[in-house]
Amino acid sequence: MLKKYAKLIGIIIMLVMMVVSVAGCGGNTAAKTIKIGVVGPESGGAAQLGQGQRKAIQLAVDEINAKKGAGEYKLEVFFEDDEGNPTKSASATNKLIQQSKVNIIIGAIHSSATLADMVVTGRAGIPQITAGSTGSSITEQGNKWLFRTAVNDEFQANALIKYAKEVKGIAKIATFTAADDYGQSGAKLLAAAAKKQGVELVANPTYNNGDKDFKPQLLTIKEQGAQAIFMWGLYTDAALIAKQSRQLGVNVQLFGASGMAALKLIELGGDAVQGLILTQTFLPDSKDAKVKEFVTKYKAKYQENPIPHAAQAYDTVYIIAAAVKKANSTKPEDLRTALTKTAGLKLVTGEPKFSNRGDDIGKYLLITTIKGPNFELIKTVNTAN
Amino acid sequence: MDIYRLAGRKFNIILLAIVLLLPLFISNLYYLHIINLAGIYTLITLGLNLLSGYTGQVSMGQAAYFAIGTYVSALLMIHFQISFWLAVPAAILAAGVFGALIGIPAMKLSGPYLVLATVGFGEITRLVILNWTAVTKGAAGLTAIPLPTFLSIKITSEQDFYYLIIAIVFVGTYIAYRLAHSKIGRTFSAIREDELAAEAMGVPVNMYKIAAFVISAMYAGMAGSLFGVFAGVASPDNFTFDDSVAFLCMSVVGGNRSIAGAIIGTFLLTVLSEALRTFQAYRLVIYGGILIFTVIYMPQGIYGMAPIFNKWIERQPFAKLLFWQKPSRE
Amino acid sequence: MQYFLNGLPIGAIYAVVALSYSLIYTSSGVLNWSQGDMVMLGAYIGFTLTQVFHWSFTPALLASMVVVGLVGVIVQRLILKPLRERKAPPINVVIATLGVAIITRNIALAIWGPDAQVFPSPVGDKPLQLSMISVTHQDILVVCVGILVMAILQYFLKYTKEGKALRAVAQDRRAAVLMGVDTQKSDAVAFAASAALGASAGILVAPIFFVTFNMGAGIGLKGFVAAVIGGLGSIPGSIAGGFFLGTLESLAGGQISSGYRDAITFALLILVLWLKPSGLFITKSRQKV
Repeated sequence: MLKKYAKLIGIIIMLVMMVVSVAGCGGNTAAKTIKIGVVGPESGGAAQLGQGQRKAIQLAVDEINAKKGAGEYKLEVFFEDDEGNPTKSASATNKLIQQSKVNIIIGAIHSSATLADMVVTGRAGIPQITAGSTGSSITEQGNKWLFRTAVNDEFQANALIKYAKEVKGIAKIATFTAADDYGQSGAKLLAAAAKKQGVELVANPTYNNGDKDFKPQLLTIKEQGAQAIFMWGLYTDAALIAKQSRQLGVNVQLFGASGMAALKLIELGGDAVQGLILTQTFLPDSKDAKVKEFVTKYKAKYQENPIPHAAQAYDTVYIIAAAVKKANSTKPEDLRTALTKTAGLKLVTGEPKFSNRGDDIGKYLLITTIKGPNFELIKTVNTAN
Repeated sequence: MDIYRLAGRKFNIILLAIVLLLPLFISNLYYLHIINLAGIYTLITLGLNLLSGYTGQVSMGQAAYFAIGTYVSALLMIHFQISFWLAVPAAILAAGVFGALIGIPAMKLSGPYLVLATVGFGEITRLVILNWTAVTKGAAGLTAIPLPTFLSIKITSEQDFYYLIIAIVFVGTYIAYRLAHSKIGRTFSAIREDELAAEAMGVPVNMYKIAAFVISAMYAGMAGSLFGVFAGVASPDNFTFDDSVAFLCMSVVGGNRSIAGAIIGTFLLTVLSEALRTFQAYRLVIYGGILIFTVIYMPQGIYGMAPIFNKWIERQPFAKLLFWQKPSRE
Repeated sequence: MQYFLNGLPIGAIYAVVALSYSLIYTSSGVLNWSQGDMVMLGAYIGFTLTQVFHWSFTPALLASMVVVGLVGVIVQRLILKPLRERKAPPINVVIATLGVAIITRNIALAIWGPDAQVFPSPVGDKPLQLSMISVTHQDILVVCVGILVMAILQYFLKYTKEGKALRAVAQDRRAAVLMGVDTQKSDAVAFAASAALGASAGILVAPIFFVTFNMGAGIGLKGFVAAVIGGLGSIPGSIAGGFFLGTLESLAGGQISSGYRDAITFALLILVLWLKPSGLFITKSRQKV
């Protein structure tokens, strides 16, 4: 009996090896190219983020190659879908490094996926820049290969609570956050920021991904007498929370963070999200010349407005191009050193500059509100302060 | 029939050599990574086959035991600096205890009720991991899970992990094989075929059912502790309902009434879901189509096709090459 | 009181989905895991008809039920029938329907994209404020239409030829065959009817929850839980299970812990399964299948 098994297994292993040896023959490295690997969710619940990221990166790569923006190097880009799942994300990163032989990784978007990818890039010694993960734990790992061009949630939480207290005179708040990596990190940071600035946190309910009925939690918040609700989640959830809170007659000020910053929030939320205050890194109808240029090009190519994730990913490619030009090398260690010395760029979402932990501290943080069908800028905060 | 005998010992030795030397041929570490991942999943599927194929029970919550294995061993290693080799038995034990816990209500259930009970258990486990942030770090998950060492050799590279995983899978397969062909395995099959008859013959059916759950949970727990050190991080997103479903599909597609089926199904579906990456948007549609096709046209899984496949192989001219000798007449 | 009221509309949705599970299960013995995705498909078709082609609500509801019902028949013909002819083990049937769910979900993603879509309520979602309690028009509509759909199903089962055949097959498949009932046809009817039920649930829930390609997974699983808690295969049981689950979730989420809400639901489910596998609301004992 055992031999019967052995034969079949043997044949399968042989087949696998044949496939492997055939597939292994592809892939040759042309001189003077820098290969960028991109990991992000292009299917699954956060597909719109990954697809926005892909479109913006493709746009930036084409532009840079057209005007020789990376010195003598030509950029080549490889995309892999991770479905927002950490195991698949690590496999995708492995594929990019081992098979596509990329020199640098952009990704992922989910913090849990980015953390799993960091193990792979850390072991392989390849620089990784996440343009989408905002969770504070990412830059607390002490991983020297990791950089972040998304705004650390900590900055956002502090700026929001400060604004609520000083401008709106709010003293009692509630947080209402998703029970995922994004929301849990936000809840922790909001609580810390509230404590620091002497604002009372009266309720902190959470919801699980896929929940659609938020009324029980909203009733609890109402009973505790909060003057404002700070949401930390994706725009679909935020729009539903806003709608249901209005239906229950909970008419308090709503706050949110960059994760829900999409025009779709206004479309879905309708009247209920009017006046909502949120921090973000990018406004498509900003007067800024860089932003205007980016939005025009993006719209011309894809017939839609870019999401903030797209703007951050677009900038990330420019940061890489500048680093490649400076390093004049594709060696990981040289690229990393060049990235740490990033300076003097003026991009769509800020003037990038990395801290010791790898956080981009040159980002503009925009405090905005929803008015009519658009976001309106209240004020710009520089994250360096 | 004769072919198996003819293949003989030589074949096994060659097979073993291939398995041991495989990392030398594969320079692309990505392939080795996928093989390693499939190796870890094989342990889960082995347990699942003992549970579903042999005993006739179902579990759509196997990711829960996988998660328990990962978290128990990783937490022990992180907080108490316990060696990997002690953390594994602890993880297996913990998973086994939970296996018994769900095995008890499952004794009374069958069909959709059993499916739902195991789905429910899987969801409860995931939600507890997600919300018990003080211990599990919630959704952000555990990071910096220490690497295992073997006799002062630190296991770091994909090759190192390949040998570690292959060794454990080998032991796991051997145990599963012995179990399946022991009195216990035959009793499992008797329960699957006719529970009432088994009961009438004086078989303590409930005990055996719980044992099947415990064994399958232990396999998943073992896989979990390997996965933790292999991935280096663990978060609830690794242990969702979709993962449980994927494990079940591996078991059924490979053929859940055999040990070899577990290995075939796991490797095939793991490699398939990676290979389909090129198809991007339609990847999952194709995956779903393949699932449906297999369960309709190969009801006993791919391994169930083995007799047909063997006949076909015997007729091929290269059969001689593969098995060294011409198949003689019986 | 507010918590209880909030649970009613969602309970009505669960009840309709639970019914769709029960209907297929009793009549053909199949656990159809793609039921939730029929809900999603119904919502998207309703969305397309009302938003893109500007149909009004009622014809869109009916058309969507018909289209999704046809999808149900296709699933039965292409997948269930060959499985049955080959006497496949039940677990294979479950996996085949899981395959259907995966395919449906990803085709929807390809057609309608990853973004959530707004499906405006036909009656507006302004709240009615009654002292301490507030209810929206949409909530009332959901409960009313939900009850109406369940009543129509009852009528269909009791007074039409197809419905009677379905009940006969549910009672005793072999005997029904001997009596000349075409079981393939009755299976097709069951699949069509339960897919259409799912579609109606989808359209009802869409204005409250938006339309997304992965909305089916959650609603489908909850509907199944409701069916089992109430008593899988029993129509009044499924309805009671749906409303029970809706209000339980509302109370558990508000009063105990929002993070553990679903964990509480599932723990209760396992307890029910352990102590009273035939369902909470079924008095006479039925044989387990």
